[in-house]
Formats: sequence, C-alpha cells, structure tokens
Amino acid sequence: MSVAVAVTDSPEGRHALESAVAEAQNLNTGLLLINLTLHDFTEEEIPSGLAVTVINRSGRGDRDPVTAVIDELNAHAEVDRLVLGVRARSRVGKMILGSVAQRLILRSPVPVLTVHMDASVSGRG
Amino acid sequence: MSTGYPRRQSTSAPNAKFDLPHMGSGRPVHRLGVIATVATFGGLLFGYDTGVVNGALEPLSEDFGLSALSEGLVVASLMVGAAFGAVFGGRVADAWGRRKTILLLAGVFILGTLGCVLAPGAEFLIGARFVLGLAVGGASATVPVYLGEIAPSEKRGSFVTRNELMIVGGQLAAFIINAVIFNFFGHVDSIWRWMLLVALVPAVALLVGMVFQPESPRWLISQGRNEEALTVLKQVRSPERAEAEIEEVTHLAAEDAKEATGGLSDLGTRWVLRLVIIGAGLGFFQQLTGINSVMYYGTQLLTSAGLDSGVAIIGNIANGVFSLAGISLGMYLLNKLPRRVMFLTGYALIAFFHTLIALAAVIVPPGPAQAWTVLVFLVLFVFSMQGTVGPLTWLMLSEIFPMKIRSFAMGICVFVLWIMNAIVAQFFPPLIEAMGMTATFGMFAGIAVLAFIFLALMLPETKDKDLAQFEREFKAEYGRR
Repeated sequence: MSVAVAVTDSPEGRHALESAVAEAQNLNTGLLLINLTLHDFTEEEIPSGLAVTVINRSGRGDRDPVTAVIDELNAHAEVDRLVLGVRARSRVGKMILGSVAQRLILRSPVPVLTVHMDASVSGRG
Repeated sequence: MSTGYPRRQSTSAPNAKFDLPHMGSGRPVHRLGVIATVATFGGLLFGYDTGVVNGALEPLSEDFGLSALSEGLVVASLMVGAAFGAVFGGRVADAWGRRKTILLLAGVFILGTLGCVLAPGAEFLIGARFVLGLAVGGASATVPVYLGEIAPSEKRGSFVTRNELMIVGGQLAAFIINAVIFNFFGHVDSIWRWMLLVALVPAVALLVGMVFQPESPRWLISQGRNEEALTVLKQVRSPERAEAEIEEVTHLAAEDAKEATGGLSDLGTRWVLRLVIIGAGLGFFQQLTGINSVMYYGTQLLTSAGLDSGVAIIGNIANGVFSLAGISLGMYLLNKLPRRVMFLTGYALIAFFHTLIALAAVIVPPGPAQAWTVLVFLVLFVFSMQGTVGPLTWLMLSEIFPMKIRSFAMGICVFVLWIMNAIVAQFFPPLIEAMGMTATFGMFAGIAVLAFIFLALMLPETKDKDLAQFEREFKAEYGRR
C-alpha cells in the first residue's frame, strides 16, 4: 500500500504534494513522488519524515506527462491512490491546451484524490 | 550570420567535474583538423547555396521570364525546405547517427544542385530548391552537433565558430564567384546554371570526405556502442585522454537524452511559455531585420538604385566582406558585453541604418551616386547586424531554455526563424517593386524599433549566470504563485 502524487510546476502541484504527504502519513505508508516539472528535485524539495521514492521525468518517452505517470503507476503495483492538484481553467486556456489533470483522472488505474487551492485563491485562473 | 543552428551551449561547455589529461598532440590533432575541414564543407554549402541567388537571380529571371513574386518563390522555396530540414535533420541524426546523416545530406546537396542546374523551367527549379533547402536545414542542425561532439571539450567553441565562419564565408565565396563568372562569361546563355553548378564541388568533397570520417563518439555511446566509441576516441585523442574521456562522454550523452523530455504540455506552465515566446520572438525579429534581403537580393538592389549589372555584382561583394567582418567582431563581443546591451544596441543601429538607406533613396538622385550611397549604408547595416543580433540570437536561444525542454523549444524557434527567412525572401522583390526602396526599408526600420521595444520589455539577462540560477530567478518572477 502506498500513495502516489503527480507534482506539476504550479501552486496546485505544490499543494498536491503537501496533501499527499499528509495522506501518506495518515495511512502510515510510503510516497511515490512523480515529478512532472522540468527540473530534477533537490534534497530540500523532497519531503522528509516518511519514505519517499522520487521519479523525475527524463527522455522523450516522458514527453507526455500523462504517459509518464500512467507508466509509473503500472510499474508500481503497491500504489493504491493518486493525489493530483487541479484548478479552474479559463475558456481560452481550455481551447488551446488539453488538461493533464483531466486525462490523468480518466486514465488512472487507481482511484484519484484531487485537491485544489482554497476557495479564496482558486478561480483566479 | 543569416541563419544558424542550435549550439547546445550548456552541454557542450567544458565540464569542471571531469579533470582530463591533455588532448594530445601530433597524429590525433591532425586527424581532428581533417575532420573539422571536411565537416565544415557542410557550413560552406549552407552559405554558398543561400548566397548564390545573389547574382544568379538576374540572368535566371531573364531566362525564365520571372515576375517579382515568382523570383521571390525561387529564393524562398529553399528556406521553406530548410525549415523542415532543420527540424527533422536532428531527429534523423539521433536515429541514424551523425556521420550517416551528413553523408545523406551530402547526397541531397548533390541531387538538389543538379536539379537546379538542369531545371527546364521555373516550377522544376522551385522544387529542386526546396530539396536543396532540406539539405541546408539538415546541415545547419547536424554539422555543429557533430563538430561539438567529436571535438575535445577545450576546443568545442572554436570548432563550432569555425563552422559559423564557413557559412558566412560560403556566402562571400558565392558573391565573388558570381562576380567573376558574370563579368568574364556574362555573354554565355544561361550563365546562372554555371554559378549554381559550382556548389557541386564542395558537395562532392563533403560526400567523399565524410566516407573516411568516424562517427561521433557521443552518439555511439548513446546507442550503447561503447567499444566503437573508444576506438573513435583513440583516433582523435592521446590514448590516456581517450580512456579518461569515456566517462565524460557517457555523462554528456545522458544529458542529451534529457533534453528531449519536455513537450507541448509543458507550455501550459506560464514561465516556460513566456521563454518560448521570447525565443520565437528572437528568431522572428532576427529575420525581419532584413539581413537576408541583402544577402539574397544585394545585387538587384544596387542595379535598381542605378548601377550596371556588372558593377552591381562586384559592389555586392562588399556585403559579403562586411558580413564576415561583422560576424568575426560579433563572436568576440559575445563574451564581453551583457546580452541585453548588445541586443538593444544592435537593433538601434539596425533601425538607424535602415532609416538612412530609406532616406538615401529619396534624397540622392537615382544613378550611380545613389547606388554607392545606398551600398555604404547597406554594408554598415550588415556589419552592425552581424556584429550583434546575428550571432547573439543563436547564443541566446541556446541559453534561455530549461535543459529538459531545450530540444522542443529550440525546434519551435528555429522553425519560426526559417519560415520568417522564407517570408522575407518571398516578399522582398514584390515589395521593392510595388513600394520602392524607401518604403520597404522604412518598414524594416519600423520593425527594428518594434524589436527593440519587445526585447527591452521581455528579454532576460543571461550572461554570467548558470542555467539553474537563471531558471530560479525567472520562475520566481514569472511563474504562477
């Protein structure tokens, strides 16, 4: 049993990471941290106090972050939930780019726990 | 330089982590020199094939009875081919290896040249120029990578610089050869075919020469062919250096693989998108300086300003000389001046000289006096452009992107750059015909002012910052919080 989290380069991503740490500590399990940002996590960025496995995106096979996450979930059978940060998107934004979060929710082999920022913060796009 | 290639600054830079013995002397060094000479024929061809229309176009246009618009298409079809060649050449080089790709490109150079030389009509010529463009774009993406990968770390910069000089040198060579051919054999029918045929010499030299050159050790390692990589390294390094370098090369090959990580979905990250917009803007505005309108149509400009064809084609050589001198100065300045200062000064000078060209065409009465005045301002424009914005654009593109999205982001920017190159090439002759020199260069001056404003507002400073530090600062300022 383990919790996975997909961390994007955004406030939602950081929030998802915090929530996932709390979730994993609650359940007393390890954390599979899938880093979808464009930089490799440094020691300070990796949460301490629990067993964390960090997976960085690397190479053309990981170009699509959704594929990168699904591949990791399939490779780690012990994971039984995925934590994901989501946010409201503008109409224009939806038109131009697909949503990584939406595709992950629809394709994830394990239940997905979505978290968003406080109501006071969300909605600003 | 008119156009260029990804320089891969960060991964090619000497790496402090690897303390390597001296590269050696004698035979390995000699071998490296041969490799560089052969491979930079790719750069020379790039320059010659883009520059040769400057001089060949007039007799060609008479032969086929071209309109201004179709003249543009004959020139621009090569740049459209190059846009695709630049994007896909890198992919082929990753899959097949650098050496095989350069051999293939040499073959395409030969076929494309023969197609142009033997073209029965304008349509065929446009098609053949597109094919030739695929080779030009492919060479722009592959040759510097091959050179950077086979050179020892302490020599990488100078090897890649050599290729840039060969590109501009190739253009200058085309201008000189055209002037000689035209002035001695101008009476011969279809003399332009002979001007284009000259490109066959370096293309054959590239093909034959590359047969005897080794594959890039870095590519071999990326394919897991370490034994072969060591064999190659032993040919171009001292034996002890070759052994020691395997580790460094393995590290660099792994870094290369990371560069292809990011893609379209990463543009959803605001600060990354902003960097890609800045990069695309750099390519867009570099071409809209109109540098290549001079490199492709310099002779025609001087003719229309009032010089005889034979004199104009000689006067045009000055454009090539100042281009080469400018780029030599530019390469030196790159390490001295802050990037923003150099860019903004460059665009200010460009706007200034464009304005002078536009005014000269109004104030000085048409005739040789106007033509010589225009030429003076043209070469000053070419010199200021090649001394600043020309090489700096490429350096900046290699510096601003996070490593994991560099391949994708550079692809976008280089494609934008080549397509803008094609658009300028396509529409310059009809614009000159319809609006005249004053309005056309007035427009270029206006665009240079827009470029100045765009860069003043958007461009970050990268000089003397390592990539990680630059990324942190940029993200803190423009990322979503």
